[in-house]
This record gives sequence, C-alpha cells and structure tokens, in this order.
Amino acid sequence: MNLLELDHAEFAYEHQPYPVFRNISFSMGPGEIFCLLGPNGCGKTTLLDCILGIHHTWQGKVLVAGHDSRQLRAGQMARYLAYVPQSHEKTFPYTVLDIVKMGRTVYTGRFSAPREEDEAIAREALDAVGLMRLADRPYTQISGGEGQLVMIARALAQKTPVIVMDEPTAHLDFKHEMVVLETMVRMVRDNGLSILMATHFPNHAFYFENKGLKVSVALMHEKEFLETGSPSQVLNEANINTLYGIEARLITCRIDEGNLIRQLVPIGARASVQGGIRR
Amino acid sequence: MTTRKKVILYTLFIIAPLLFIFASLFLGRYPLPLPLVIQVLVSKLGIAAYNLPDTYEALVWQIRLPRALLGALVGGCLAVSGAAFQGLFRNPLVSSGILGVSSGAGFGAALAIILFHSVTPATYIFAFAFGMVAVLLSYLIGRVYNTTPTVMLVLGGVIVSSVFSALISFAKYVADPYRELPAIVFWLMGSLANASYHDIAIAGIPMGIGIAGLMLIRWRINVLSMGDREAHTLGVNLAVDKGLVIICATLATAGAVCVSGVIGWVGLVIPHICRMLVGNDNRVLIPASLSLGACFLVLIDNIGRIITGSEMPLGILTALVGGPFFVWLLKRTRAGGW
Repeated sequence: MNLLELDHAEFAYEHQPYPVFRNISFSMGPGEIFCLLGPNGCGKTTLLDCILGIHHTWQGKVLVAGHDSRQLRAGQMARYLAYVPQSHEKTFPYTVLDIVKMGRTVYTGRFSAPREEDEAIAREALDAVGLMRLADRPYTQISGGEGQLVMIARALAQKTPVIVMDEPTAHLDFKHEMVVLETMVRMVRDNGLSILMATHFPNHAFYFENKGLKVSVALMHEKEFLETGSPSQVLNEANINTLYGIEARLITCRIDEGNLIRQLVPIGARASVQGGIRR
Repeated sequence: MTTRKKVILYTLFIIAPLLFIFASLFLGRYPLPLPLVIQVLVSKLGIAAYNLPDTYEALVWQIRLPRALLGALVGGCLAVSGAAFQGLFRNPLVSSGILGVSSGAGFGAALAIILFHSVTPATYIFAFAFGMVAVLLSYLIGRVYNTTPTVMLVLGGVIVSSVFSALISFAKYVADPYRELPAIVFWLMGSLANASYHDIAIAGIPMGIGIAGLMLIRWRINVLSMGDREAHTLGVNLAVDKGLVIICATLATAGAVCVSGVIGWVGLVIPHICRMLVGNDNRVLIPASLSLGACFLVLIDNIGRIITGSEMPLGILTALVGGPFFVWLLKRTRAGGW
C-alpha cells in the first residue's frame, strides 16, 4: 500500500476563485524521498498543509496510508506523518530534551505526561541527529542549524513512517546543510523512513540520488506538476528555465573514485533561452 | 529531573502554603502566642479539649483560618490560570484576565451592587456569571471557520475587556455616590476581609475543578505552546485541548474573582517567578505556580492586616510588594534564559 497517494488533488482558499494548485497526482512508498520543487508562492507549503490535514477543503483524492486525510483525526494522522516546520518560532526556553519529548504526544494520554520509555525514545532520537550533548540546554540558546536538527529529532521521536519537511535547509550554513542532508540519508537508508520535502535546491535531489536512494522530483509550475520523475530525468536546463525563468548549466563532477555527481549551476536570471550565453 | 529531586520539590509545593496559612493564624492586629493557636486548633479538631475564651476561638477559627484558606485558594487559582494562559497564548505577557474574565466579573459585581444597593450574595453570583459570559464572548469572537487562532482569541479578549471596563465606568457613573459607589470601588480593588467557610465551600467548587483540570492537562500545555500548526501535527486535537484549558482556567479565575474582587499582578508575575525558579516545563511550572501563588497572596494579606489598622485593599499591595521583588529576582537570575 502507498504511504501517501494524491490523485487530481485541487485546493482553493474559501471565497477565492482560483485554486492554489490543481491536478496534483503522485504516490509515495516506504524508503522513498519525494522532492517538491518550485518557485516561491507556487503552492508547495499549501500542498503540504492539505496532506497534513491543516486544510480540509480540497477536491480530488488525498490518501494517507489509505485513509482520506480529512477523515483522520489529528491523533491518527500524527501516527503516519511527522512534520518538520520551515521555521519554528521559539517562545519559552524549554530544554532541548523537552522539545524532543513532545514528539511523543500522540502516544501520551491527554491527562498524562511522557513516561520513561518515551524519554528513552526521545534521547535515542536526539542521539541520531548527534545532539545528545545539548539535551539539557534551553533550545532558545542553540544555533539555527542545531535548532533544525532538534525539530528533526522531534519528528523522529514521533516514530512515523513518513516525515514531511518544509524546506529543511532554509537559513542554514554549508556545514549544517550537509549535516541535515546526511541525517536525512541515514533516516531513509537505515530506518526505512520516507521523506516528503519541499525544497528550493535542485542539487539536494541530485545529492540523494547520488547516495543511491530512491528519489522522485516533482516540478511545480503554474499550480500543476510540470514533470515528475527521477532527478536525472527531470532536472535539466530547459525545465529549470521554465520553472524559475533562469539560465542554468547542468555540470557533472567527480567526487570520489568513479563517483559522479550532477549539479545545476545558475548562470543568470533570464526569462528566455535565446541569449548568447547559452552555447 | 531525578525522582529524588521531584519528591523534594513537590513536598515543598505542598508544605510552603500550609506554613504561610499557619503563620497567618497568630499574626495580625492582635498577635496570639503560638501555644494558644495550637491549643485552639487541637481542640477544634477534636483531638483534645482545652478551656479557652471564645474570643480566641473566634479569632483563629472563624476569622483568620477561613481568610488564610481563601487567600491561598484565590492566589493559587490566579497564578495557575495565568501560567496556563501564558502557555496557551504563547505569550509571556498574558495574565489570567486575558479573555476578559476579570472585567466581566467586575461589571457583574457592580451591577449587583447597584441592583441590591450593597454587597450581597447576589454580588458573587453576578460576578461569577458575568466573568464566564465575558470569556464565552471572547471565544465566540475568536472563532473562525471552526478554529480559534490565538491572535483572534486575544483580540476577542481585548475587545470584551474594554467593553466591560466601559460598562464598569458606566455603573460607577450611575451608582448612588454615598453607598453604592464606595462598595463598587472597594470590591474592584480586591479584599479577603469577608472570607467565611461558606465562601470557600461555594467558590471552592469552580476553583477546585479549574485547578484539578489544569493539573491534569498540564503537560499538554507544553505541546499547545508550540503553536496550532505544530501541535496539530504532533497529534493534538486543538478544539478539545484548547477548550479544556480555557474552561479550567476560566472556572478557576472566575471562582477566585467572585469572592475576592479583582486582584491584579498575581496571575502575571507569579508564573514568571516560577519560570525563573523551576523552568518552563508546565509539568513543574503549573504546580509551582499554584503553590507560590497561594503563599504570595496569604503573605500579602497578612502584610495588609498588620501594617494598617484599616484594611488595605489587596490589589494595591500585590503590586507594591510584588513589583520590587520581581525586579530583584529578574536581576538575580538574569531572567532565567529569556
């Protein structure tokens, strides 16, 4: 059974004549990474919201583990999907471990608190992202990159088959970007998790493909999917030009012995392909 | 937190208010010696019989004890609902009156005083009822498409509070200036002077339900403070859990306000002092606020009874005593990680 299946999904805000997205179909099985790629405001986050059950008024089919996402209560949904937000607004200085423990909410009764085994699971998750040393620090005092890893640890503690990430590497430096990507690779390869992510970086999809993971990319353009497929099939100069209106080059470089990685390099913000710059 | 530390902390939470209540039995305009107070308690509890003058018995058992008990309950309620609302609204500036319960109750009391020409049992009932109505109105204003976004709730609370404040002013304006107006003004400044076991029994029901509910749901407040979006994806039924927190905090505050009048400051500052002392995890913060709120109000009431011959209204003293103490603590703990 597919963990996630969308069939001709369409969504419009109430009292708005035009849909935010339409005609969206894809499916995702265990151990897969699915990247949503598209310019700002193309509806990526709204699509994630419909899948997560935050919006209910969509048309078509949105199935989470075979259940209509509208029919799932929050407590059921949270057993299938965990969510890593794009930006997390920190209010009170909870300790890092307290934050990760909140991933156990769905297994904790309304009138009780996480038990010892929940704490053990939370520590395990924190260990998996390599932040055990920060367990007792206030999470308002750690860096943005560490904060993102804490959010990932919280999602891991939720023990769901799928993790939904909204631009997981936004605002991160090179190092933390790599740390997050490597953590994601481990999650998929070692734990068999599936990841649905919205991203602005086509090269991340190449990175995952290069690591030998099963990766699909969907290009979201003018409210619809322009093309869906593996990174090598879909991410080419022409598509990037259509999607973002920029000039880009696809280059290949050798990183280890015999190991080639593709990368898209942006050249300039041109609206069409007929410039002198393109060969 | 280790189990040992937890046991010590919780024991402290229970013992501290009891000590403050006990201390207030022999403090006051007529200080009583410790043995005498103990004798009264022992004979009243039927453990042993002493032949004591009725005045002592009346002073300790009929005046000071109910007053201290009610003070502890009211202080605990205000602090605990302040802490819960701060978590729910993800805003450290929020206090127990954020959804309009205090101004609603204030208007209810003023209306009852005008209708019946003085403070009567109807004052309590009106205060409680209007406090609840105010919160219900805030909730209905904040409700959009079956959800209650935090900003809308706060706006609802602001609107309802200012409307009821205006109504309080109107009530003062039309009140009889010699009998009703002073009664309204004193009621609004807050007092425990008329405390009786009857008050405790009646107002104790909503206060007890509110405290019990918040104690039970306290860990969920951590999750709710992550914001609606994240709480939902963590598996929280927002409508139910937010509703429960609002209902419990409102019952506790309305129960407190209807017997004691409007006592500010406790619901804002006690939770903050507790955040500095025990951290932000609501699992510890809620009982800590309950305990410290109880201690604080009993202490303030004792100070009010001792320093002035007449009754100093509580609302004045809580701010005058609490303010400098809060500043000292802010400097001392460097605001505990804020």
